[in-house]
Amino acid sequence: MNVLKLTPERCTGCLRCEIACSYVQTGAYQPAKSVIRVSPFEGHTSYAPYTCTQCAEGWCMTACPVGAITINGAGAKDVVDDLCVGCKLCTIACPYGTMFYDTSTRKAFKCNLCGGDPACAHACPTAAIEYEDTATSDWIGDFARERMSYVLALEGAR
Amino acid sequence: MPVRHLIVGGGTAGMNAMRTIREEEREPSEITLVSAERPYSRMVLPYYLDRSIAESHVFTATAANLDRWKVKRLIGRRAASLDVKANVCTLDDGTRVEYDDCLIATGSSAARAPVPGAEGRGVHSFWTLDEARRVLDSVIPGSHVVMVGAGFISFTILNSILSLGAKLTVVELAPRILPRMIDATGAELVEGWLKAHGVTVRTNVKLAKIEDAKDRKRLKFSAGPDLLADVVVMATGIRTNLDWLKGSGVEVQQGIVVDEHLRSNVANVYAAGDVAQGRDLISGETAVHAIEPTAQEHGRVVGANMAGRDVRYRGSLIINIVEVCHLDAASFGAWDDGKAEAMTGLKKDRNAYRKLLFTGERLTGAIIIGRSNDIWTTNDVGMLKGLVQSGQPLGRYQEHLRRDPFDVKTAFIAAKTTSALLPETVLGRPSKAPGDSPVAV
Repeated sequence: MNVLKLTPERCTGCLRCEIACSYVQTGAYQPAKSVIRVSPFEGHTSYAPYTCTQCAEGWCMTACPVGAITINGAGAKDVVDDLCVGCKLCTIACPYGTMFYDTSTRKAFKCNLCGGDPACAHACPTAAIEYEDTATSDWIGDFARERMSYVLALEGAR
Repeated sequence: MPVRHLIVGGGTAGMNAMRTIREEEREPSEITLVSAERPYSRMVLPYYLDRSIAESHVFTATAANLDRWKVKRLIGRRAASLDVKANVCTLDDGTRVEYDDCLIATGSSAARAPVPGAEGRGVHSFWTLDEARRVLDSVIPGSHVVMVGAGFISFTILNSILSLGAKLTVVELAPRILPRMIDATGAELVEGWLKAHGVTVRTNVKLAKIEDAKDRKRLKFSAGPDLLADVVVMATGIRTNLDWLKGSGVEVQQGIVVDEHLRSNVANVYAAGDVAQGRDLISGETAVHAIEPTAQEHGRVVGANMAGRDVRYRGSLIINIVEVCHLDAASFGAWDDGKAEAMTGLKKDRNAYRKLLFTGERLTGAIIIGRSNDIWTTNDVGMLKGLVQSGQPLGRYQEHLRRDPFDVKTAFIAAKTTSALLPETVLGRPSKAPGDSPVAV
């Protein structure tokens, strides 16, 4: 299946992915509603996007007590709005922190790969986010570990 | 002759077991379900109570689903005894069900405080669908509802009762609220928040009796003033439904003691969910974890094993989340472990609290509390679960978290927690969507 392949070295922190994501997912240009999140590293001089890996277990999906999370045509775990009651069990079952909860609609939401045409990948101007047929992975862990060294060194120096 | 599986209990554990049997089996088998109630999800009853979902939404299987699964149903019946030598379960109406293997998933019932009047008219539990219906029928705008018990169950329906327009008082025997879900600092924060939102909270009070007072109820305490209530909800704990197994030879301590395959001391008798005393992921000891995710994981592991696979269960993790008046509180794992190293952060002005508990370099427990808008903006609640679940060593990020327990996201990512989590599955294979083998409608 196609997955979101993330290359943090290419990310400039422009947040176009978050804006595109929030627009497609919720109709609002609002990064706070985005299900891909860009995290700063190295004291805000480098950035990395982070989103659902569409993991094999699907902790959110198996946890849902009413079967409101299913697998869509793109192979992504997807919340069925009409079935979600907003109990938040998925948000604490997902060990990646990539389930979201909308306090205005009182429903959970997450990356559903935009049904197979992910807006974040389209919006990224530097190909830090690509949509490719490859195995999912911890795309940004090594990058973050390396870039955190600077922050940790600073903290140690204080 | 096909293998005959008997599932006793139609809750989360039983439903997940049946579904997984059908997903995993190579040869067709017979499944018989004995369930006192039509299968529904207890988790969503608070949303039925606040009328945000219809009653039909709570059911986890239609007749058509169960027909497609080829489940023989004995609904409305209770198991009365188990003969583990003859492999026969006898039901309350005398029906005998023979089995080759059996899952005991009979769950829990609400327990009421042992005081005079606790069983009287106008006093309710909130655990089963029937009980939820009765509470829903009783509470009207302006009702004064007194909730006895300030634990998790009570807090899951607190918003619903307020949204029905009731006035709410919560009384608790312990010196603080949520004694089994968050620590004292967290409890103080949540209690202050509730009071600021018009909920009356009285802790450290012992209910002595409940009397009729014309159309209302009078609650008397061993000290302090009486309370007059229109509706009393008793949320004073639960007890496992295991009385029927007495004398069966199945070993019961706090629950049915099960091994890593979730088998009891009787090889063809499994237990799952609230009645099972299985491995705790953090301590490695056995414990009863009467929560929905444990029932779900237990059920799936049992289903796979009943279908002939060899699936070992890593252990269950206590996870809880509850929201009251737009304040979220969640806890994970061994949040009350006195031997762990605790790192805390409290931002009183933002009603935000975090407690991270470390055993060596590993996060073994966590508490997070904050305003809903803040919690779901930061959105690192799940990461706390991931750190506890994976046991990923945090190394030098531990010091980073000591400085700022609120910056979990960076530590989670940089500790390569995702790498540790990605290979983890409960059944050793990718999960199937509910629609592919329906457990829920």
